[in-house]
Amino acid sequence: MLAHSQMLRVSAEVTTTPLDPRSITDRAIDPLLPHGTVLLDFVDAVLEQSDRSAARTELLEALGPTGLVDATGVIANFEMMNRIADATGMPVGKGTLKRTAEWRTWIGIDQLNHL
Amino acid sequence: MPFDFATAAIGVRTDIRQLFRREWDRLAQAGTWWNGRERVDIARAARRSRFGGEEAPSSLPSAAIEAAGIVSGRPASIRREWVATVADDLGYPRYVEIVGIASRLAAVDTFHVGLGVELEPLPDPESGEPSRSEEPQARAGAAWVPMVGGASITQALSLVDAESVAQEDLHGPLYLTYEGMAEFDYVGGLSRAQMELVAARTSAINECFY
Repeated sequence: MLAHSQMLRVSAEVTTTPLDPRSITDRAIDPLLPHGTVLLDFVDAVLEQSDRSAARTELLEALGPTGLVDATGVIANFEMMNRIADATGMPVGKGTLKRTAEWRTWIGIDQLNHL
Repeated sequence: MPFDFATAAIGVRTDIRQLFRREWDRLAQAGTWWNGRERVDIARAARRSRFGGEEAPSSLPSAAIEAAGIVSGRPASIRREWVATVADDLGYPRYVEIVGIASRLAAVDTFHVGLGVELEPLPDPESGEPSRSEEPQARAGAAWVPMVGGASITQALSLVDAESVAQEDLHGPLYLTYEGMAEFDYVGGLSRAQMELVAARTSAINECFY
Protein backbone atom coordinates (compact mmCIF):
# COMPACT_ATOMS: atom_id res chain seq x y z
CA MET A 1 0.00 0.00 0.00
CA LEU A 2 2.81 2.39 0.81
CA ALA A 3 4.32 2.07 -2.66
CA HIS A 4 1.09 2.74 -4.52
CA SER A 5 -0.09 5.49 -2.21
CA GLN A 6 3.11 7.28 -3.21
CA MET A 7 2.53 6.54 -6.88
CA LEU A 8 -0.95 7.98 -6.40
CA ARG A 9 0.56 11.14 -4.93
CA VAL A 10 3.05 11.52 -7.77
CA SER A 11 0.49 10.84 -10.50
CA ALA A 12 -1.89 13.42 -9.00
CA GLU A 13 0.91 15.98 -8.72
CA VAL A 14 2.19 15.39 -12.25
CA THR A 15 -1.29 15.82 -13.71
CA THR A 16 -2.39 18.55 -11.25
CA THR A 17 -5.35 16.41 -10.25
CA PRO A 18 -7.06 17.15 -6.93
CA LEU A 19 -6.58 14.40 -4.33
CA ASP A 20 -7.05 13.69 -0.67
CA PRO A 21 -5.07 10.45 -0.11
CA ARG A 22 -6.52 9.93 3.36
CA SER A 23 -9.57 8.55 1.53
CA ILE A 24 -7.54 5.38 0.92
CA THR A 25 -7.93 4.41 4.55
CA ASP A 26 -10.85 6.59 5.65
CA ARG A 27 -13.96 6.26 3.54
CA ALA A 28 -15.58 9.23 5.26
CA ILE A 29 -13.12 11.47 3.37
CA ASP A 30 -13.82 12.57 -0.19
CA PRO A 31 -10.91 11.48 -2.44
CA LEU A 32 -11.49 14.60 -4.62
CA LEU A 33 -10.10 12.69 -7.59
CA PRO A 34 -12.56 12.58 -10.53
CA HIS A 35 -14.87 9.57 -10.05
CA GLY A 36 -12.79 8.64 -7.01
CA THR A 37 -15.75 7.82 -4.80
CA VAL A 38 -17.28 5.55 -7.43
CA LEU A 39 -13.95 3.74 -7.80
CA LEU A 40 -13.51 3.31 -4.05
CA ASP A 41 -17.09 2.05 -3.74
CA PHE A 42 -16.36 -0.51 -6.43
CA VAL A 43 -13.17 -1.76 -4.76
CA ASP A 44 -14.99 -2.09 -1.44
CA ALA A 45 -17.87 -3.95 -3.07
CA VAL A 46 -15.61 -6.41 -4.89
CA LEU A 47 -13.40 -7.18 -1.90
CA GLU A 48 -15.85 -6.85 0.97
CA GLN A 49 -18.89 -8.46 -0.64
CA SER A 50 -21.21 -5.48 -0.35
CA ASP A 51 -23.65 -4.60 -3.16
CA ARG A 52 -21.45 -5.45 -6.10
CA SER A 53 -24.13 -5.07 -8.72
CA ALA A 54 -24.96 -1.50 -7.75
CA ALA A 55 -21.29 -0.50 -7.49
CA ARG A 56 -20.59 -2.10 -10.87
CA THR A 57 -23.48 -0.26 -12.50
CA GLU A 58 -22.35 3.07 -11.03
CA LEU A 59 -18.82 2.57 -12.28
CA LEU A 60 -20.07 1.54 -15.71
CA GLU A 61 -22.19 4.69 -15.94
CA ALA A 62 -19.32 6.90 -14.77
CA LEU A 63 -16.38 5.46 -16.67
CA GLY A 64 -17.84 3.14 -19.31
CA PRO A 65 -17.01 -0.48 -20.06
CA THR A 66 -13.31 0.22 -20.57
CA GLY A 67 -13.11 1.89 -17.18
CA LEU A 68 -14.92 -1.00 -15.54
CA VAL A 69 -12.61 -3.60 -17.10
CA ASP A 70 -9.51 -1.58 -16.23
CA ALA A 71 -10.60 -1.03 -12.62
CA THR A 72 -11.36 -4.73 -12.26
CA GLY A 73 -7.97 -5.56 -13.73
CA VAL A 74 -6.15 -3.30 -11.27
CA ILE A 75 -7.98 -4.86 -8.31
CA ALA A 76 -7.14 -8.31 -9.65
CA ASN A 77 -3.48 -7.42 -10.11
CA PHE A 78 -3.14 -6.17 -6.55
CA GLU A 79 -4.92 -9.18 -5.17
CA MET A 80 -1.98 -11.03 -6.69
CA MET A 81 0.76 -8.60 -5.69
CA ASN A 82 -0.46 -8.14 -2.09
CA ARG A 83 -0.33 -11.90 -1.57
CA ILE A 84 3.15 -12.12 -3.06
CA ALA A 85 4.43 -9.27 -0.90
CA ASP A 86 2.91 -10.68 2.30
CA ALA A 87 3.87 -14.30 1.64
CA THR A 88 7.49 -13.51 0.82
CA GLY A 89 7.99 -10.91 3.56
CA MET A 90 8.83 -8.12 1.17
CA PRO A 91 10.51 -5.40 3.24
CA VAL A 92 10.22 -1.66 2.80
CA GLY A 93 13.71 -0.17 2.76
CA LYS A 94 14.95 1.87 5.70
CA GLY A 95 15.44 4.92 3.51
CA THR A 96 11.88 4.72 2.26
CA LEU A 97 10.57 4.29 5.78
CA LYS A 98 12.49 7.35 6.93
CA ARG A 99 11.45 9.43 3.93
CA THR A 100 7.75 8.55 4.19
CA ALA A 101 7.20 8.82 7.95
CA GLU A 102 5.07 11.96 7.75
CA TRP A 103 3.12 10.63 4.77
CA ARG A 104 2.36 7.32 6.51
CA THR A 105 1.15 9.08 9.60
CA TRP A 106 -1.05 11.41 7.56
CA ILE A 107 -2.79 8.62 5.64
CA GLY A 108 -2.78 6.20 8.56
CA ILE A 109 -1.03 3.09 7.29
CA ASP A 110 1.66 2.33 9.87
CA GLN A 111 -0.59 -0.12 11.70
CA LEU A 112 -0.36 -2.41 8.66
CA ASN A 113 3.41 -2.91 9.02
CA HIS A 114 3.85 -6.40 10.47
CA LEU A 115 7.34 -7.11 9.20
CA MET B 1 -13.83 -22.34 -24.56
CA PRO B 2 -12.64 -21.18 -21.11
CA PHE B 3 -12.67 -17.48 -20.31
CA ASP B 4 -15.15 -16.43 -22.98
CA PHE B 5 -16.96 -14.20 -20.42
CA ALA B 6 -20.19 -14.94 -22.30
CA THR B 7 -22.34 -13.92 -19.33
CA ALA B 8 -20.48 -10.66 -18.63
CA ALA B 9 -22.50 -7.50 -19.26
CA ILE B 10 -19.55 -5.98 -21.12
CA GLY B 11 -16.82 -7.21 -23.44
CA VAL B 12 -13.48 -8.28 -22.01
CA ARG B 13 -10.32 -7.44 -23.90
CA THR B 14 -8.88 -10.23 -26.01
CA ASP B 15 -5.46 -9.93 -24.37
CA ILE B 16 -6.97 -10.61 -20.94
CA ARG B 17 -8.94 -13.63 -22.18
CA GLN B 18 -5.81 -15.03 -23.83
CA LEU B 19 -3.77 -14.28 -20.73
CA PHE B 20 -6.12 -16.23 -18.49
CA ARG B 21 -6.18 -19.18 -20.91
CA ARG B 22 -2.40 -19.26 -20.83
CA GLU B 23 -2.49 -19.13 -17.04
CA TRP B 24 -4.86 -22.12 -17.02
CA ASP B 25 -2.53 -24.01 -19.36
CA ARG B 26 0.35 -23.27 -17.00
CA LEU B 27 -1.68 -24.33 -13.99
CA ALA B 28 -2.55 -27.69 -15.53
CA GLN B 29 0.99 -28.53 -16.58
CA ALA B 30 3.89 -29.75 -14.48
CA GLY B 31 5.72 -26.81 -12.97
CA THR B 32 9.18 -26.53 -11.48
CA TRP B 33 8.56 -28.39 -8.20
CA TRP B 34 4.96 -29.65 -8.37
CA ASN B 35 3.34 -31.78 -11.09
CA GLY B 36 0.13 -30.81 -12.87
CA ARG B 37 -2.18 -32.67 -10.53
CA GLU B 38 -0.50 -31.11 -7.51
CA ARG B 39 -0.68 -27.63 -9.02
CA VAL B 40 -4.40 -27.96 -9.68
CA ASP B 41 -4.85 -29.29 -6.14
CA ILE B 42 -2.96 -26.24 -4.82
CA ALA B 43 -5.35 -24.02 -6.76
CA ARG B 44 -8.33 -25.97 -5.41
CA ALA B 45 -7.15 -25.54 -1.81
CA ALA B 46 -6.49 -21.84 -2.46
CA ARG B 47 -9.92 -21.26 -3.99
CA ARG B 48 -11.67 -23.20 -1.23
CA SER B 49 -10.01 -20.97 1.36
CA ARG B 50 -11.55 -17.87 -0.23
CA PHE B 51 -14.87 -19.11 -1.51
CA GLY B 52 -15.63 -22.25 0.48
CA GLY B 53 -16.84 -25.52 -1.03
CA GLU B 54 -16.49 -29.16 -0.23
CA GLU B 55 -13.12 -30.64 0.64
CA ALA B 56 -11.89 -32.87 -2.17
CA PRO B 57 -9.29 -35.63 -2.10
CA SER B 58 -5.86 -34.09 -2.58
CA SER B 59 -2.50 -35.29 -3.80
CA LEU B 60 -0.78 -32.74 -1.55
CA PRO B 61 0.95 -33.00 1.81
CA SER B 62 -0.96 -31.22 4.58
CA ALA B 63 1.63 -28.41 4.79
CA ALA B 64 1.03 -27.55 1.14
CA ILE B 65 -2.75 -27.48 1.60
CA GLU B 66 -2.35 -25.22 4.61
CA ALA B 67 0.08 -22.92 2.79
CA ALA B 68 -2.20 -22.58 -0.25
CA GLY B 69 -5.14 -21.79 2.01
CA ILE B 70 -3.37 -19.16 4.07
CA VAL B 71 -1.66 -17.41 1.15
CA SER B 72 -5.02 -17.28 -0.60
CA GLY B 73 -7.38 -16.53 2.27
CA ARG B 74 -5.39 -14.84 5.05
CA PRO B 75 -2.21 -13.38 3.52
CA ALA B 76 -1.98 -10.49 6.00
CA SER B 77 -1.65 -13.02 8.84
CA ILE B 78 1.57 -14.48 7.43
CA ARG B 79 4.69 -14.04 9.54
CA ARG B 80 8.34 -14.98 9.08
CA GLU B 81 8.19 -17.86 11.57
CA TRP B 82 5.28 -19.48 9.76
CA VAL B 83 7.08 -19.23 6.39
CA ALA B 84 10.16 -20.83 7.94
CA THR B 85 8.06 -23.68 9.34
CA VAL B 86 6.41 -24.33 5.98
CA ALA B 87 9.81 -24.22 4.31
CA ASP B 88 11.12 -26.78 6.80
CA ASP B 89 8.38 -29.13 5.60
CA LEU B 90 8.33 -28.36 1.88
CA GLY B 91 11.50 -26.44 1.06
CA TYR B 92 11.52 -22.79 -0.06
CA PRO B 93 11.17 -23.54 -3.80
CA ARG B 94 7.96 -25.55 -3.32
CA TYR B 95 6.59 -22.85 -1.04
CA VAL B 96 7.37 -20.12 -3.57
CA GLU B 97 5.62 -22.10 -6.30
CA ILE B 98 2.54 -22.33 -4.06
CA VAL B 99 2.68 -18.56 -3.55
CA GLY B 100 2.82 -18.06 -7.29
CA ILE B 101 -0.11 -20.34 -8.04
CA ALA B 102 -2.32 -19.03 -5.22
CA SER B 103 -1.62 -15.36 -5.94
CA ARG B 104 -2.31 -15.62 -9.68
CA LEU B 105 -5.48 -17.58 -8.99
CA ALA B 106 -6.57 -14.74 -6.70
CA ALA B 107 -6.11 -12.33 -9.61
CA VAL B 108 -8.08 -14.48 -12.05
CA ASP B 109 -10.89 -15.18 -9.58
CA THR B 110 -11.18 -11.57 -8.41
CA PHE B 111 -11.47 -10.44 -12.01
CA HIS B 112 -14.50 -12.70 -12.35
CA VAL B 113 -16.01 -11.50 -9.08
CA GLY B 114 -15.53 -7.90 -10.19
CA LEU B 115 -17.38 -8.44 -13.44
CA GLY B 116 -20.08 -10.53 -11.77
CA VAL B 117 -19.47 -13.77 -13.64
CA GLU B 118 -19.06 -17.33 -12.36
CA LEU B 119 -15.56 -18.52 -11.51
CA GLU B 120 -13.91 -20.51 -14.27
CA PRO B 121 -13.75 -24.24 -13.42
CA LEU B 122 -10.20 -25.35 -12.68
CA PRO B 123 -8.48 -27.14 -15.56
CA ASP B 124 -7.88 -30.87 -15.76
CA PRO B 125 -4.28 -31.63 -14.84
CA GLU B 126 -1.87 -32.80 -17.51
CA SER B 127 0.75 -35.48 -17.10
CA GLY B 128 4.45 -34.75 -16.80
CA GLU B 129 7.15 -34.34 -14.23
CA PRO B 130 8.36 -31.11 -12.60
CA SER B 131 11.58 -29.73 -14.07
CA ARG B 132 13.17 -29.35 -10.59
CA SER B 133 15.23 -26.55 -12.04
CA GLU B 134 17.33 -24.99 -9.29
CA GLU B 135 18.07 -21.26 -9.18
CA PRO B 136 21.73 -21.20 -8.11
CA GLN B 137 21.94 -17.40 -7.85
CA ALA B 138 19.15 -17.07 -5.28
CA ARG B 139 20.28 -15.99 -1.82
CA ALA B 140 18.65 -15.44 1.54
CA GLY B 141 18.32 -11.75 2.30
CA ALA B 142 16.04 -9.21 3.91
CA ALA B 143 12.87 -10.94 2.71
CA TRP B 144 11.56 -14.25 4.07
CA VAL B 145 12.41 -16.38 1.05
CA PRO B 146 15.61 -16.50 -1.03
CA MET B 147 15.64 -14.29 -4.12
CA VAL B 148 17.92 -13.43 -7.00
CA GLY B 149 19.53 -10.02 -6.70
CA GLY B 150 18.21 -8.92 -3.33
CA ALA B 151 14.77 -8.20 -1.93
CA SER B 152 12.59 -6.52 -4.53
CA ILE B 153 8.93 -7.00 -5.35
CA THR B 154 9.82 -7.70 -8.99
CA GLN B 155 12.14 -10.47 -7.80
CA ALA B 156 9.87 -11.86 -5.08
CA LEU B 157 9.30 -15.22 -6.85
CA SER B 158 12.70 -15.38 -8.54
CA LEU B 159 13.68 -18.49 -6.60
CA VAL B 160 11.36 -20.27 -9.07
CA ASP B 161 11.89 -18.47 -12.36
CA ALA B 162 8.78 -19.86 -14.10
CA GLU B 163 6.59 -18.43 -11.34
CA SER B 164 8.29 -15.05 -11.62
CA VAL B 165 7.71 -15.01 -15.38
CA ALA B 166 4.05 -16.02 -15.00
CA GLN B 167 3.48 -13.25 -12.44
CA GLU B 168 5.00 -10.60 -14.69
CA ASP B 169 2.87 -11.85 -17.59
CA LEU B 170 -0.29 -11.03 -15.64
CA HIS B 171 1.00 -7.73 -14.26
CA GLY B 172 1.17 -5.91 -17.58
CA PRO B 173 -2.29 -6.56 -19.05
CA LEU B 174 -4.11 -6.25 -15.72
CA TYR B 175 -2.29 -3.09 -14.58
CA LEU B 176 0.91 -1.83 -16.19
CA THR B 177 4.20 -3.32 -17.28
CA TYR B 178 7.14 -2.62 -14.99
CA GLU B 179 8.43 -0.14 -17.60
CA GLY B 180 5.00 1.44 -17.97
CA MET B 181 4.87 2.16 -14.24
CA ALA B 182 7.21 5.09 -14.86
CA GLU B 183 4.46 6.91 -16.83
CA PHE B 184 2.63 8.88 -14.17
CA ASP B 185 0.50 10.75 -16.70
CA TYR B 186 -0.68 7.53 -18.43
CA VAL B 187 -4.35 7.49 -19.42
CA GLY B 188 -6.21 4.35 -20.55
CA GLY B 189 -9.69 3.36 -19.42
CA LEU B 190 -8.65 5.06 -16.18
CA SER B 191 -6.12 7.79 -15.52
CA ARG B 192 -2.94 6.74 -13.74
CA ALA B 193 -4.11 8.48 -10.57
CA GLN B 194 -7.41 6.59 -10.71
CA MET B 195 -5.51 3.33 -11.18
CA GLU B 196 -3.34 4.08 -8.17
CA LEU B 197 -6.35 4.98 -6.05
CA VAL B 198 -7.80 1.54 -6.86
CA ALA B 199 -4.43 -0.15 -6.21
CA ALA B 200 -3.92 1.60 -2.87
CA ARG B 201 -7.46 0.94 -1.66
CA THR B 202 -7.16 -2.74 -2.63
CA SER B 203 -3.93 -2.94 -0.62
CA ALA B 204 -5.54 -1.16 2.33
CA ILE B 205 -8.42 -3.63 2.46
CA ASN B 206 -5.95 -6.48 2.15
CA GLU B 207 -3.88 -4.91 4.96
CA CYS B 208 -0.73 -5.09 2.84
CA PHE B 209 1.76 -2.51 4.07
CA TYR B 210 4.24 -2.86 1.25
